[in-house]
Amino acid sequence: MEPLISMGVLALIGAAATIAGASEDLESDVGSQSNANSQVQLAPQMGYVHRIYNKAIAGEPVSNGMMCTIGATGALVLIKHFGFSPLFALVIGALIAAMVHGSYSVTAIMGREASQARFKQPIYLDLIRSHTPVIMAFAFLTTFSVEVVSYLMVYALAHPFPFVLLSFLWGVVVGSVGSATGDVHLGAERQFQQQPFGEGLNASQSGSIVRKAESGLRNGIDNLWFCSKFGGPMTGVSFGMVVFLGTWIILVFDPAKGNVEGWLSNLLGVVIVIVLCIWNWHIEKETREKYGPFKEDKVEEVSA
Amino acid sequence: MIDIVGLIAPNILWILAIVIGGTLISISVHFISVGGAPAAMAQATGIGTGTVMLAAGAGIAGIIAAGAVMDLNQDLGVVLGAGGVGAMVMLAATMIVGTWIYAYGVGVMPVSAKVKYDPITKYRQDLYVSQGTEGHGIPTVAFVSSLIGGLLGGFGAALAYYALMKVGTYAYAGVTPLAVHDLNLVGVVAAFTIGFFFINSVIPSYNIVGTIEGFHDPKFKRWPKAAVASFLASIPLGIVAVIAVGALALVGGL
Repeated sequence: MEPLISMGVLALIGAAATIAGASEDLESDVGSQSNANSQVQLAPQMGYVHRIYNKAIAGEPVSNGMMCTIGATGALVLIKHFGFSPLFALVIGALIAAMVHGSYSVTAIMGREASQARFKQPIYLDLIRSHTPVIMAFAFLTTFSVEVVSYLMVYALAHPFPFVLLSFLWGVVVGSVGSATGDVHLGAERQFQQQPFGEGLNASQSGSIVRKAESGLRNGIDNLWFCSKFGGPMTGVSFGMVVFLGTWIILVFDPAKGNVEGWLSNLLGVVIVIVLCIWNWHIEKETREKYGPFKEDKVEEVSA
Repeated sequence: MIDIVGLIAPNILWILAIVIGGTLISISVHFISVGGAPAAMAQATGIGTGTVMLAAGAGIAGIIAAGAVMDLNQDLGVVLGAGGVGAMVMLAATMIVGTWIYAYGVGVMPVSAKVKYDPITKYRQDLYVSQGTEGHGIPTVAFVSSLIGGLLGGFGAALAYYALMKVGTYAYAGVTPLAVHDLNLVGVVAAFTIGFFFINSVIPSYNIVGTIEGFHDPKFKRWPKAAVASFLASIPLGIVAVIAVGALALVGGL
């Protein structure tokens, strides 16, 4: 393929990946999946009964990997066996995945809340009715976007992996990225807004999640509203970077042309990594200077 | 009946490569700075997700990159480099965005609770740890350590992938060798490599028990035990994989 067209396809892949990352994080925020779920699960045991959707079907990477595999399998069957147009098939595949994900979400919250009956945690049926469609909508978006990424990679950029396998792999990676980035915004900030801003969660405050909203009791959609301002889009940027940069270095220096190009593409990747490392160090330096230490240095006080 | 000895004999070198790959993956997991669930609450230093999931995410990014390059260029060094760089890019992109969220969304600076001074930047650490936490964010030493982990893990995964592709494309007597583009071969080899990566990243998680900051963490010293365990576990895995993939090549693909 012409390098310029490849770059265009890659730009589309990057955009789809960004949407996939953002929707993946927001899906896990509504349902409080992933690491921050430990606090939602712990809260009733500490006496804090809440109205937050509590589902953790599996770890985020595995759950998303399964969703994307189901979607891609459905889409591929429709394309190969029934002759559907790819775009239509990808949408139906994502729809099937969203429905499966919705059913898992309902069984997850029912099971989790029922097991906490001894801590007086109710099962709010209205919560399940209002949140599950939102979760399914985000699951649909994630699956569709990951399918688009994989489809374009396999059929436009000639990636050697089978379409379904590549969807599974990118599903696991989007879960891994979402769990490592956006969920911090939910877990460390949104769920503990009554704690002072600018410090980590004191271990003694574990389980003491915020249960009251701006109006009424807080639920998963309130968390979604907050996290969609920063955590969600940032996760999108992160997954977009993973997909875009990882493929871009191979497009700029095509390893098919020879070993020198192959090594140059690897070198370009190393340069990107070093730049990101320096940026991280710069943020570390900046925040240390701006935010200042939490404690006084007693040794220096004595010597002064 | 498939001649198992005839399959293993020409591929001894590749079994060894798979075993080395598994050991590299096992060692690499100790380098990756993971804080598990506590890190998601800014309660521990490292990336806020589980050890295996993060290592697998990085390793898979490495396998995707190595697979793409292997299709275009079969040079061992280039493929291994692509695997390592793919995993490093995934970890670097995840960590930089993680740092943005810690710094601007949660308002905490990256800091380690395991050392008094960062071995790389020489910054004082203990004064910047907020009360009741084991550090937060990803300081420079943890970032660099994770990158080393990504590189080694990507190398390991790419080595296992490369070895199995070579087993699959070997010209066995009386059989037309499979092409490097053969979809069934690529699918089987990639699926095996991912399973292999998961197994070898679960073994060190018994050493890590939830959180590790990187090479400066005292838990890092336990790596030889996991490396030996992974080395031993990879031997039967390598033999089974070579028989499975070799048999696929012997019957001329699916």
